[in-house]
Amino acid sequence: MKNPPALEQLIDSLRCLPGVGPKSAQRMAYYLLQRDRQGASGLALSLNNALQVVDHCKLCNTFSEQAICPLCESAQRDKTVLCVVEMPTDLIMLENTRAYTGMYFVLMGRLSPLDGIGPKEIHLDKLIKRANDGIVTEVILATNYTVEGDATAHYISELLRARGIKVSRIARGMPMGGEIEYVDTGTLAQAMLERRSVFK
Amino acid sequence: MASVSSHRQDNQSVYVLHTYPFKETSLVVELFSREFGRVATTAKGARRPRSAMRGMLQAFQPMLATWSGKLELKTLHGLEWNGCLLLLQGEALMCGFYLNELLLRLLPREDPHEALFAYYADTLKALASEQHLATTLRRFELKFLQELGYAIPLQQDANNAPILMQQHYRYEAEHGAYPIRGTLARYENGVQLSGKTLIDMLNDDYSDEQTQQQSKQLMRYLLAHYLGDKPLHTRQLLIELQGY
Repeated sequence: MKNPPALEQLIDSLRCLPGVGPKSAQRMAYYLLQRDRQGASGLALSLNNALQVVDHCKLCNTFSEQAICPLCESAQRDKTVLCVVEMPTDLIMLENTRAYTGMYFVLMGRLSPLDGIGPKEIHLDKLIKRANDGIVTEVILATNYTVEGDATAHYISELLRARGIKVSRIARGMPMGGEIEYVDTGTLAQAMLERRSVFK
Repeated sequence: MASVSSHRQDNQSVYVLHTYPFKETSLVVELFSREFGRVATTAKGARRPRSAMRGMLQAFQPMLATWSGKLELKTLHGLEWNGCLLLLQGEALMCGFYLNELLLRLLPREDPHEALFAYYADTLKALASEQHLATTLRRFELKFLQELGYAIPLQQDANNAPILMQQHYRYEAEHGAYPIRGTLARYENGVQLSGKTLIDMLNDDYSDEQTQQQSKQLMRYLLAHYLGDKPLHTRQLLIELQGY
């Protein structure tokens, strides 16, 4: 037996979600139509609404309903430092630390040579324009410590250094409260290689 | 080596070539192993926040891997550090991605190449020292194609005559060097180069500037021939980055 065309179309649409194959998509569609029609219409409304009102902030590139997001507009932030992160979730993590009061730029990804993700996909031109506003004096690269994150940090730092902007990279090493006995070998090796002098 | 019947391989020397998402929380991990060549495995749950393997799945690090399974896609059970941390940075890192892309594109799965594995490890070490990146890449490209079984004749031309230092040649994939007589014409196929370049490449001597240039053109042409229509992402990325 075949599904009605509208249901078939819904199943097909659900497959655009990451990690959702034909089986999962069918399960989701059946669930929405049979068990939770209210939730389904809520989902349809909020999806439609989000598509219409959410765009990227003109300054930091994160998701925002306004042309300039509240964080970029805030008068309390230090406008001279700009922290570059890969994803909006990274921004939220850094905000939770309350250790940073500067501005952000969200790449919405990372350079990934083997997947064909290049400078256009991570909005490098927008970042260069943002960092060149005349107010930013330091750019902090807080991309992940993965090979792709490192490659991204390297290329951004080269591009910004050529334009006379000071660039730094967040530190890595032993975690907070970390015990040497239980830390993974790679982190420990890195911490040893990048040790720093105790007397300044 | 573990027994064949269990299809389990313990503590194999490997490098991670690439990972990509698989199902909701897993990854497909492409490995290059000493004894089995390129092996595709799945790391179950590796994208969960507290996965023990999460931080380990980094390219360019010598590791020991344990996997099992008899299908093409194996199950990865564990990864351990094997030897010291290799640090590829900046351009050397991009060269590393290039090597991995070559292996992913041209090396068939489960076709063991022990000599190539050793050469890959040495090449990563040479890249980590960040000296003569271009020469390191040329050596790897040549060795790589030869290991895969493609003949790249450097000693004799296509007519089995020895290569002459002063002679100009047109090098064609699958055939070799054809001497160019008289004026240099524009040819549709192949790369024009001097006999000296071929002799230098045979002797592994890349000190001459013309040799560096011509060997780069030759290798680019040969790789493009074997890669087919789809260009390399890493090369494309470098070209795009130069536009900034």
